[in-house]
Amino acid sequence: MNNTIIRTEGLTKFYGKQRGVLDINIEVRRGEVFGYLGPNGAGKTTTIRLLLDFIRPTRGRATIFDLNTRRTSREIRQRIGHLPGELALYENLTGAELLRYVGHLRRGMEWRFVEELAARLDCNLSQPICSLSHGNKQKIGLIQAFMHKPELLILDEPTLGLDPLMQQEFYRLIAEAKAEGRTVFLSSHILPEVERVCDRVGIIREGRLIAVETVAVLKARTLRQLEIHFATPVPREVFARLAGVRDVIVEHGVLRCTVIGTLDALIKVAAQFQVVNVISHEPSLEEIFLAYYAGGEGHAA
Amino acid sequence: MLRNVFLKTLRDQRRALLWWGIGLLAIALFTGLLYPSIRQMAPEYDKLLKTMPEALIKPFVGEFSDFASPEGYLNSSLFFLMLPLLFLVFAIGFGSNAIAGEEERGTMDLLLSNPLPRWRVVAEKFAALVVSTILLAFAFWLGLAICALAVELGVSLGRMAEATMSGALLGLAFGALALAVGCACGDRGLSLGVASAVAVAAYFLNSLAPVVEVLERYRRLSPLYYYIGADPLKNGLYLGHAAVLIGLTGLLLVVALLAFERRDLAV
Repeated sequence: MNNTIIRTEGLTKFYGKQRGVLDINIEVRRGEVFGYLGPNGAGKTTTIRLLLDFIRPTRGRATIFDLNTRRTSREIRQRIGHLPGELALYENLTGAELLRYVGHLRRGMEWRFVEELAARLDCNLSQPICSLSHGNKQKIGLIQAFMHKPELLILDEPTLGLDPLMQQEFYRLIAEAKAEGRTVFLSSHILPEVERVCDRVGIIREGRLIAVETVAVLKARTLRQLEIHFATPVPREVFARLAGVRDVIVEHGVLRCTVIGTLDALIKVAAQFQVVNVISHEPSLEEIFLAYYAGGEGHAA
Repeated sequence: MLRNVFLKTLRDQRRALLWWGIGLLAIALFTGLLYPSIRQMAPEYDKLLKTMPEALIKPFVGEFSDFASPEGYLNSSLFFLMLPLLFLVFAIGFGSNAIAGEEERGTMDLLLSNPLPRWRVVAEKFAALVVSTILLAFAFWLGLAICALAVELGVSLGRMAEATMSGALLGLAFGALALAVGCACGDRGLSLGVASAVAVAAYFLNSLAPVVEVLERYRRLSPLYYYIGADPLKNGLYLGHAAVLIGLTGLLLVVALLAFERRDLAV
């Protein structure tokens, strides 16, 4: 049995002269949760729509389950669950009606499982979709992607609009799918989310895949802006000479610096002084990209 | 009603179909009911019509000079302009909404996430258009049939059905045109605009041809000619003309199926 579920080879899409995505090479293996990380407009949705044969590549090709996405799209779609990005539903139906419709089109789902998913996501299926909030619409989108227990889930920004409690439930659904040996490909623009649920991450920026890393490596390379407030003035040199600590500024007992990867060394040195407060900023995606460019690896082709 | 794309499309149209059906039935019924009083005044009508320039009046009532005869009356008041206008508006709206409308609302991605071939979505939506148009044609015919119970129309129910059917075929041809343009470009507004513009041009080509000499030889390019040129209310449905409309519809459906299969879905 082949263990590559999704493979893209030089997948490229131009909209006229405008860039969509350029030379995307990805391999997603059976049973893994693959995160596709990038800011809005980077080409995440374009890649996903190419995989589903909604749009056709300018160059390159893609296979899912070793089937060509252009020639065997229907067979592929039979075996996957897809949550479209910028989800639009049939506003005139209720949630239950929409899910039954999709179920008929798929020729098979267990209604009991749909109800179980709805209960777990706290989603009211009897209300007309037009009266639902964005988050509740997203839940119906998630249910239709999960309800037939597909071999592969392709989810475009799945947590968009979900409140934190529901995000946790969604992470559990992902973990269960993984435990059952199913494969997940999800796009996101939120680093902590990807770090939390994914095994490997592809980072896309301006249409190019700039790196594919395991989450462990990604974390080790993460840049973090750190601010430590001390009770008394501290010497700059003890911090400046630490490996992985950069841009050190010390003013009036306040240390500001950038840390690459683990905070361990810095914290141990800081602990020798009287610490009042530690403020850590989650790195933005731009900062992660900077880490990759600064590190001299994963340069765009 | 949510078993497949065909039934879902009809279900979405159920309110529109109800009101369109009531409207068409009422128009047919009340126009028919006026016939006895019109017939009494027919000589004056004819005189009035003769005082007006031909070129001004023919494009809207047709060549049916005999206003007093039931066929002449029904043709000029219903079948020449009213029926094709209503069927065209309905079918073009339906056709442009079917694929391009679904893309505009953003639901096409959700629909095609399911294991459906694209051609199947087009085919099922077209089938829903055919069924809807036939239902509306039936409502219109029913209005005339009810009317025939009350007043002496002197036209057989069969002939009324044939003329109405001819109108339905015309509607389907333009519905297929709107569908094909929508399938080719994914733009509902463009599809609506192109199909409506062609319909208006075709209407005037057919109706002006008898009075404008240079247009006469182009008249056969107008689908409207194949709808009413052989006067189906008087002579029955002329199969040759019906075949032209059905053939045109089939051709446009093939274009729609192929075009939608080939292009990128709109975002």
